[in-house]
Amino acid sequence: MVELLFEDIFTLTRIDPDGKKFDRVSRIEAHSEQFDMLMQLDVNTEVYPMSVGDKFTMVLAPTLSLDGTPDTGFFVQGGRKSLADKFEYVMHGKLYKISEESSGGPHVKVEIYASFGGLLMMLKGDPSNAANFELDQRLFLLMRKV
Amino acid sequence: MALVRREEKLRCTKEPFIEDVGPRRIKSLRFSMFSGDEIRKLAEVQVWNNKLYNQDAKPAEHGVLDSRMGPANKLGVCSTCHGNFTECPGHFGFLKLTLPVLNVGYFNLILNVLKCICKRCGRILLSETEHKQFLKKMRNPKAEAIQKNAYMKNIRDRCKGPRCSNCGYVNGVVKKARASLTIVQDFGKMLDKSSDDCRAALSHLKGNQSCQVVHVLTPSKVLSLFRKMLDEDCELLNLYDRPEKLIVTDIAVPPLAIRPSAFVDFGRSSNEDSITSILRNIINTNSILREDLENAAPLFKCMDCWAHLQTQVVEYINSEAPSLTDSKYRGLIQRLKGKQGRFRGNLSGKRVEFTARTVISPDPNLKITEVAIPILVAKVLTFPERVSCHNIEKLRQCVRNGPFKYPGANFVVLLDGTRLHLKYGEKKNVAAELKYGYVVERHLEDGDVVLFNRQPSLHRMSIMAHRARIMPWRTLRFNESVCNPYNADFDGDEMNLHVPQTEEARTEALMLMGVQNNLCTPKNGEILVASTQDFLTSSYLITRKDTFYDRATFSLLCSYMGDGMEPIDIPTPALIKPVELWTGKQLFSVLIRPNAHTRVYLNLTTKEKIFSKPDGICPTMCPRDGYVYFRNSELICGQLGKATLGNGNKDGLFSVLLRDYNSHAAASCMNRLAKLSARWIGNHGFSIGIDDVQPGEHLSQQKRKEINDGYRECREFISLYGEGKLTLQPGCNAAQTLEVKITGVLNQIRAKAGDVCMRELHWRNSPLIMSQCGSKGSPINISQMIACVGQQSVGGRRAPDGFIDRTLPHFPINSKTPAAKGFVANSFYTGLTATEFFFHTMGGREGLVDTAVKTAETGYMSRRLMKGLEDLSVHYDQTVRNASGGVVQFVYGDDGMDPAKMEGKDGIPLNLDQLFMKIMATCPPGDKDILSPSEITEIVDCRFSKYDMSLEGGCSSAFKKSLSDFLDSRLAALRKTRSALQLDENHVGSRHSNKIEKVAANIAGITSKQLEVFLGTCIYRYHLKKVEAGAAIGAIGAQSIGEPGTQMTLKTFHFAGVASMNVTLGVPRIKEIINAAKNISTPIITTILNCDTLISARMVKGCIERTVLGEVAESIKIVLKNSQPSIVIKLDAQRSEDLRLGISSEIVQHAILTHPKIKLKPEDVRVVNSKKLRIFLPQGNRIKLQFELHTLKSILPKVVVKGIPTVERAVINSDKGKHHLLVEGTNLLAVMGIPGVCYEKTKSNHVIEVHQTLGIEASRKCIINEIQYTMSTHGMSIDSRHMMLLSDLMTCKGEVLGITRYGISKMKDSVLMLASFEKTAEHLFNASFSGREDQIEGVSECIIMGIPMQLGTGILKVRQRVDPLPELKYGPDPILS
Repeated sequence: MVELLFEDIFTLTRIDPDGKKFDRVSRIEAHSEQFDMLMQLDVNTEVYPMSVGDKFTMVLAPTLSLDGTPDTGFFVQGGRKSLADKFEYVMHGKLYKISEESSGGPHVKVEIYASFGGLLMMLKGDPSNAANFELDQRLFLLMRKV
Repeated sequence: MALVRREEKLRCTKEPFIEDVGPRRIKSLRFSMFSGDEIRKLAEVQVWNNKLYNQDAKPAEHGVLDSRMGPANKLGVCSTCHGNFTECPGHFGFLKLTLPVLNVGYFNLILNVLKCICKRCGRILLSETEHKQFLKKMRNPKAEAIQKNAYMKNIRDRCKGPRCSNCGYVNGVVKKARASLTIVQDFGKMLDKSSDDCRAALSHLKGNQSCQVVHVLTPSKVLSLFRKMLDEDCELLNLYDRPEKLIVTDIAVPPLAIRPSAFVDFGRSSNEDSITSILRNIINTNSILREDLENAAPLFKCMDCWAHLQTQVVEYINSEAPSLTDSKYRGLIQRLKGKQGRFRGNLSGKRVEFTARTVISPDPNLKITEVAIPILVAKVLTFPERVSCHNIEKLRQCVRNGPFKYPGANFVVLLDGTRLHLKYGEKKNVAAELKYGYVVERHLEDGDVVLFNRQPSLHRMSIMAHRARIMPWRTLRFNESVCNPYNADFDGDEMNLHVPQTEEARTEALMLMGVQNNLCTPKNGEILVASTQDFLTSSYLITRKDTFYDRATFSLLCSYMGDGMEPIDIPTPALIKPVELWTGKQLFSVLIRPNAHTRVYLNLTTKEKIFSKPDGICPTMCPRDGYVYFRNSELICGQLGKATLGNGNKDGLFSVLLRDYNSHAAASCMNRLAKLSARWIGNHGFSIGIDDVQPGEHLSQQKRKEINDGYRECREFISLYGEGKLTLQPGCNAAQTLEVKITGVLNQIRAKAGDVCMRELHWRNSPLIMSQCGSKGSPINISQMIACVGQQSVGGRRAPDGFIDRTLPHFPINSKTPAAKGFVANSFYTGLTATEFFFHTMGGREGLVDTAVKTAETGYMSRRLMKGLEDLSVHYDQTVRNASGGVVQFVYGDDGMDPAKMEGKDGIPLNLDQLFMKIMATCPPGDKDILSPSEITEIVDCRFSKYDMSLEGGCSSAFKKSLSDFLDSRLAALRKTRSALQLDENHVGSRHSNKIEKVAANIAGITSKQLEVFLGTCIYRYHLKKVEAGAAIGAIGAQSIGEPGTQMTLKTFHFAGVASMNVTLGVPRIKEIINAAKNISTPIITTILNCDTLISARMVKGCIERTVLGEVAESIKIVLKNSQPSIVIKLDAQRSEDLRLGISSEIVQHAILTHPKIKLKPEDVRVVNSKKLRIFLPQGNRIKLQFELHTLKSILPKVVVKGIPTVERAVINSDKGKHHLLVEGTNLLAVMGIPGVCYEKTKSNHVIEVHQTLGIEASRKCIINEIQYTMSTHGMSIDSRHMMLLSDLMTCKGEVLGITRYGISKMKDSVLMLASFEKTAEHLFNASFSGREDQIEGVSECIIMGIPMQLGTGILKVRQRVDPLPELKYGPDPILS
């Protein structure tokens, strides 16, 4: 069985916090319920419209294959059964940065950055949640509204 | 030739042994003079006949065109060597003058010699001891030519005494007569009292006959005097040869080859060269003179004739001599001097074959290294290729095709050197008989190396080597990415093409001048060959966050990049569900690394123009996507624009590729980008229309509001000004303050309108896109089109008054409103009103005039710089030396680094941040544990102690420090992360021990491998960046300073902190610095104070600024009492107190007494009390006294009582609560001496004054700083190494020498070089007078003589070790040793 790196249910709080800049892409801000994570994510709203208040499951996985075979980096065409079947919106990208929150404090939070071909994601939360991640890791982001 | 023939007649019984020395090389060149005898010996024929041709159109015997001097035209044959027009080099003739005449070129030198010698016995007018002293100095072998000239001047000054110590003759003063070219001896001053008698005796004669005692020194007199001179005296006067050679007795008639005669009108008359005509005139006059002398004609007639001969000889040498009224001929000097003259036109630059020139046009499908050459051109330009087994079939085909079919050939050169033209004869036979070793001059083919050039060639990238691509049509074509180095556009520009003719030349051209090897400018190391215009626009649009492509489109775009010829790995789509979509950024990742075999891992970050920092999170999350981040050749984020892809940056994509990989990686990436974007934008379409410049309702409203606000503010200022309530700015009067304030407000209007435009326009707006990605246009341009054109300025001010007190009659008198002074509130879209239009043309005209003027100005500046710096190069011992071996710098630029290879800002060798990022990304930590801070320091220290990090190993301490500072900052970051995550700062646990430990490792951990690779790369690359021996660093420096000069706007003023203080900038300022001008237009001393409070600044200002008596006196009155009239001065103590001047009556007394125009004795100026003085004038005539009193009263208010007289004014400048003074004026020494001034930190912008006050090192620094400052105000960055070199050259002789004709003549001692620069004739005449020897070492001399120069690849010399010959023993070996 595939080992997921992260899974949680988020609630969309804001869309385009800095104003709408792009026609087809919006930046959403969402909070998770279980781990109290903050997420900023660029979503192609043309193919997957979202609105404030939406609740959705978000999963980060290293591979889409159900048996956990690591992703080769090459895309294989064909309708094989995969993790994506259960989700509505799937993106593929790369984790490029892990850093600690710049504003220091007693309970410092860790930020995880990933880019899905230019659509960016920032996940902020407790350091322990970041332990599964590695730099330059290939990531699949899967979303499903609940 | 003639000599050889005569020798042949001499029969020798034994063949004399003549050593074959092989080809000879000219080692040096000595300038000297010919005597009449020597001229006669050299000549083949005496010339005396004034006829040119006989009746049968043959050159007349003994005429100026005598055939013994060579053939006069193509038809003739030389009767000396029997050669024709092309073979015969020509032979000299001579022309004997009846009476000697002066040579204009030597006129001043003759005058100088005459001043120094006795006019009776010809001995020098020096005492015995002085004679010996000077002779010793002159004979000093170490004395340079300049020094000798200085001694000679000294001697001339010492020779003022009239009486000759040898013969006792009293000499008069030798001077040039008022009439041209006669030397006279004036006894006027020698006359004593006895002459009065003489004058009295003559007085009864009619007319005012002044008793002038002037003797004319005729040329023959001078000649006889010179003959009498001793050799020792000649030596003293720096004469290399006998002085009589200075006088012309015979003229060498030059060979006909340099003055051909051409028949016109079918042989009825001939067209003669100027020199032939002048010589003919001389022959005429000469014969008349001889006849006159022989027939004993009246003296005045002979003298007239002699004078006439003199002027004609002058005309022969210099037809522009001041003594001549306009001449229609060109003399010898005119042939040599000037741009088209022999030196600059034919010797320093020559016409060449194998060149082409035509219009250029763009072609993005070509590689950046290629140039498309029309077939038409390729058929004319050929390359001589030697036949070998590898190319014989190809060349056979070429020969068969002949000169008219494209891949053909024009000539075949056989082994014995005969050339076969393929136009005639049987091509097939020639092709069949082609043998190895033949040379075929074949047409240009694909891949040939050609040099490509566009004028003006301001820097070395103006001529580069490309690979040829033969294409149809008529233009030269190249990739637009290469427009920048040539500064070319396609609006009708033409460019030149040259074909190197040997394999050596090709290789050298490719290695040194190839486009790939010149991607960076040596000016500052920024990339020059990079994407421009449409490439930027399309990249910007492709990488937008919301461009998505489906599989078909994405694959199509991928195939655009390389003509579908290279394998491409399609990445996983960014969006897998609900539909497969790729983003434009993924396309760019493919572009940089098309397939897994391309091992290019690009890592870089840049900030684009649109970047705005998001708060609290990583800058990659910029909401407008302006932060570009490439990680391992994947575009993580950012919309690409000029900062990443364009030219003029050091951390853009292509620069990083070039530094981290190689030029090939960068070039192939540029090729792919050019193809992709040209094709993409062709499909996508990009255009501009009227709707792009139509402002929306909201925009118009905003603009109206901005303009109304600005106008209201201006009105308020104007009304305040009218009431006189305007608060003044420091150093300004009310009108100036008003101008400054209004200008500020109006400039803001346009800026604000621009901001509104940028904010309000739709993102699809074409001008907006172009401005944001940096391909064309600025926000100001957009604002001018859409919102508001803005303030028009003429000469840096608002429009001037063309009518009485107003700009145009449309406005009320003295109107200062924005509209009346040239503010254009309309946009180009709405259209300008009549007055606005007029103001706009005023501004536009200034711009046009400016460009026209500055081209000439900067061109001359570049030429001077080049001549000054041309021969400086780096030698194998790292020193920078000039051609004669004089050291200019011990290490180039203080660290021996090549400016073209510098990666960091401000000429720092490496960009450590970028490099560290790359290493961290390309060397993944894997499972290795990270290092603890102490381990890191240990490894670093260990590496630093190795040889290649030591000073002897060639590592500068600055680099070592920067590297260790950087590592310290990394260590600090590591510690900070660990403490934030509540881990032990100094002890690092294993990666697997703890979750948090792993996170920390991911955030800031460094493994030992990473550190090792990082240090290794840094040090390795640092050592690669050393400047190579032989680099012509001088020429590069001159270009690097000259080229930016052309881009500077001519007249710019700048406010040095304070609005009222203008500083000259731009080209005039650079000129001042380079010329080492004694008087500069705005000398400013920046004074730092010991105590930077306002009060102390005011006190120092009071001390520095000039205070005149009129300003501190309450009254200056004339008191007329019957006893003694006087002037009473009352001082205003209150005022003096307020301004903290501290002026007492004693100071005033002192000031009055020392004033140069007032001549009073101390007792006349009496101090009554501390605020009252009384001045008495010496008794005398009452009326006269009255007048004197009034003049004195008018002078007195202007007497300077305190301050430095040369200072115009001092302005207090406040910077963050700290005050310092800006002093306008000179006298740095006095300013430094004023109490309260921190003299160590006080600076001046006057180079010469700094030299006089602080010394040569300070002036060196001053030159560097001033050039740097001037360039930076124009937004130009130039590597400081170039400035250092320039200022080192200017100061290396111990005084500040300007790069002018005077300075350069002091720096260099090559006559040829100086003659090819300026004042050609003067240098040549002086050189032959003192017998100068030119060693042919420098660049100019080598070019003139056609010898390879000792620079660049020419620095290399091969020497062979020759084993010493075995010693031969005479006699048998000794029996007992």
